[in-house]
Amino acid sequence: MKILLVDDEEKFVSRLAQRLILRGLEADWATTWDEALSKTEKGKYDIAVLDVKMPFMSGIDLKKKLEKISPDMKFIFVTGHGSEEDYNVGSKEAAFYIMKPFKIETLVEKIKQALEV
Amino acid sequence: MEKEIGKICAEGLAFFGITNRLISHELKNILAIISETLGLIDELIKSSQTGLDLKPGQLSSLSESVIEEIERANSIIRNMNTFAHSVDEFMGEVDISRILSLMIGICRLNSASKNTKLRLVDNGPCVIYTSPLFLQKLLYQVINFSLPFVSPQHEIKVSFDSDDHGARIIFSGISCNNIKELNEKEAWLAKMLSAKVFLDATAGELSIALPKRIGESPLQSLISEWQ
Repeated sequence: MKILLVDDEEKFVSRLAQRLILRGLEADWATTWDEALSKTEKGKYDIAVLDVKMPFMSGIDLKKKLEKISPDMKFIFVTGHGSEEDYNVGSKEAAFYIMKPFKIETLVEKIKQALEV
Repeated sequence: MEKEIGKICAEGLAFFGITNRLISHELKNILAIISETLGLIDELIKSSQTGLDLKPGQLSSLSESVIEEIERANSIIRNMNTFAHSVDEFMGEVDISRILSLMIGICRLNSASKNTKLRLVDNGPCVIYTSPLFLQKLLYQVINFSLPFVSPQHEIKVSFDSDDHGARIIFSGISCNNIKELNEKEAWLAKMLSAKVFLDATAGELSIALPKRIGESPLQSLISEWQ
């Protein structure tokens, strides 16, 4: 199971990746949309965990670009923004939509559910 | 007049809502960083008990990072409190330097989403008599209006000057090629504040001219109704 984490807050995304690795999962991270696309072109990820609101490109738009490169990739959205509108849009576009801050156990559970492991 | 007063109240409330959302979004991001950092510290310590090498330098760096995020959150909450107090007096003396500093802080998420830096050139205190809440609202609108049109340097410089008649706030570093005119909302807000907003496409500048003391406007009428 290979996970790609994408969030513009480097401290958040790098530490989340480290914690997933300590749990025996394979996790990689990116802080920009172009870095995420580049990593996806080079390696195969089973699932991407994307921040909804990032500079230049929303998580939803990034998802569409990632899907073109890796059609089988699954997606989970995370966000610190709590609008109902965002939830309604995000929930339709991804397997799960999680509010920050979250427990890592919740994320791991959702990843496993999304990949039906 | 009643319609204007209704619009004033609605705009004021909507602005409070927008600002609360921005602040809560930033705070949630900070809480997420703190949560992951403390979780990582905890897991590294537990892993050391099963043989993983524990690097004291790494733990120290992580805990310093938590302190930085707490300071960042504290700064945001200070802004939130300053903003909340902006309605203590509907009209009053406003320090342009402080209000610009506040609005740049509040708009940080929006400017970061456009990868743009807002840089304040602080010329020291500059006081006018106006509506703090509505000046904040106008500044918020103008900043967000400018962000999509930032020049390739990705920095908007915010400066101000004053004379006996009033103050002028200038937003520089805007690529005005695609801007035809300002929106209706900015024009309406300026009118409420007896202010004028100018777009200088050649200079790449947007400026707000504010009177030393707000003149006749529906905002003043609203106060008169209450008093």
